Amino acid sequence: MSIATQLILNGIIAGAIYALVASGFSLIYGVTKFMHFAHGAVLATGAYLLYTFAVMAGLNFWLAVVLAIMVTSLFGAVMNWVVYKPLRKIKASSAVLLIASIALMTFINAAVLAIWGADVKTVPTVNPVFDALGARVTFIQVIIIVVSILLLLALWWLMKCTKLGKAMRAVADNKEVAQTVGINPEKIYTYTFIIGSFLAGVAGVLIGIEQNLYPQMGVSLVIKGFTGAVIGSLASIPGAVLGSFILGLVENIGIWWLPSGYKDAIAFVLLFIFLLFKPSGLLGKKVREA
Amino acid sequence: MAFINYVIHLAILIGIYSIVTFSLNLAVGFTGLLNLGHVGFFGIGAYVSALLAVQGVSLWISIPLGALAAMVMGIILAMPTTRLKGDYLALATLGFTFILGSVARNWTDVTRGALGIPGIPKIVKGNTEFLFVVVVLAVVSYLAMWYISRSRFGLTCEAIRDDELAAKMLGKNTFAHKALMLGFSALFAGFAGGLFAHYITFIDPSIFGINDLILMFSMLIVGGLASVKGSAIGTIVLFLIPEPLRFIGFPSSVLGPMREMIFALILLLILIYRPKGLFGKVDFS
Repeated sequence: MSIATQLILNGIIAGAIYALVASGFSLIYGVTKFMHFAHGAVLATGAYLLYTFAVMAGLNFWLAVVLAIMVTSLFGAVMNWVVYKPLRKIKASSAVLLIASIALMTFINAAVLAIWGADVKTVPTVNPVFDALGARVTFIQVIIIVVSILLLLALWWLMKCTKLGKAMRAVADNKEVAQTVGINPEKIYTYTFIIGSFLAGVAGVLIGIEQNLYPQMGVSLVIKGFTGAVIGSLASIPGAVLGSFILGLVENIGIWWLPSGYKDAIAFVLLFIFLLFKPSGLLGKKVREA
Repeated sequence: MAFINYVIHLAILIGIYSIVTFSLNLAVGFTGLLNLGHVGFFGIGAYVSALLAVQGVSLWISIPLGALAAMVMGIILAMPTTRLKGDYLALATLGFTFILGSVARNWTDVTRGALGIPGIPKIVKGNTEFLFVVVVLAVVSYLAMWYISRSRFGLTCEAIRDDELAAKMLGKNTFAHKALMLGFSALFAGFAGGLFAHYITFIDPSIFGINDLILMFSMLIVGGLASVKGSAIGTIVLFLIPEPLRFIGFPSSVLGPMREMIFALILLLILIYRPKGLFGKVDFS
């Protein structure tokens, strides 16, 4: 019995992390209409910045956390200005932006590898272990679940109840009409990238505390994030969150039957099935055309 | 002497990868299928041929079988995915690559997982002879792919890329055309993968990595979509550009990442400033 509880709990923890990645990814996809794969590299940057500030520079831990998240948020905006904005200017298609984002991801991964090296890094923290319903859970894992739920609620509030959120939804809905009522889409894109990268930065910091850092860490996480988003619905944040928790649970319960090395394969197969049979996702209404 | 060996080594890789670039062009440039599964086909060709060859199967059989396996995979992949459009097709084919990588890592009984396959037999012993073989095979592959792209079948694929609905109205089975072209594209990628495995003599699951995908797309887009000349020149340019770094004397731990950064940077610059590449006839639409 306790194994089942443990697997479900592990699924929820994984789901919470995927949800943070997926919500940023699908926020950016919803507003800008292309798949920002480099989101994973942004996340890895967040984790490595935490390592740099907290371990290498020896700053106060909380200061390091705040700095890492702030710099990561800005980093996302810089990517938007340097790469995506010029591409939008020449009216590049979403396919070109997709390829550009993969190129950007490998660029940043390689840069991380060149700067910090290939060896695995850890950020040392105190991490007491609890027992919950016969399952083992660490303090940091509890923090992960709490922080991601709070952030997702905040994001939902931001999108529903603030002027900025309304403007973002307007641009997502119809950029031209939004423009005619005086919304500057480029400004909204900047905010979108800052908020999305902020979520990635928080995810990077949380993962950086809980697990080890390695240069390719962002790749597998962004794959999990967009798989979660595709399962729920690419363009809707609640859908992306729902899909992420489903993915976390299926992956972790799946290793009851399969060797744990196949955890990733489970995600890819789910991704594949949803893309083929329900590309609009569980919560999406219409299939997007070309 | 060392310098000549280095030039020969570079020329062999250029020969192998020029086949990869043209084959990617068949799907992406000539047919308009944004296929991110190309490293998957390359890897299948390499793995199938290597696994057969270390069991003692002749290379005359193992390399073609590897290429055929890739072609079959290409057609199977095309069946469900070619009805997907644009970035959804890209996502699905990328997912396919990741599944293959995951299988290569975890199916340890067959693939030896992360340990990889060492001691793959070479096609010929000396590198000079190997270069000769590669040049001949690359020329033959180019002629074959050029013929495919200029045939009625290839021209129909180009028509499908430009206007699928119109091609359908002319009574063309657009689905079968796309599936078969993806199959041909995979066939030559798998063939090149086999050559690669029997040159390097060692492969591991990293062959399915995303870095190689960026290299392939950089070569393709620098050369230009739907251009035969572009595929060859794009490959040569991309292989030569990072080489001077080798002589500056960076440590090898920095050299590898720098090469990848250069490939990614070139791809970004060309997408922004010259989306048609050097000789491209079309761009992404």
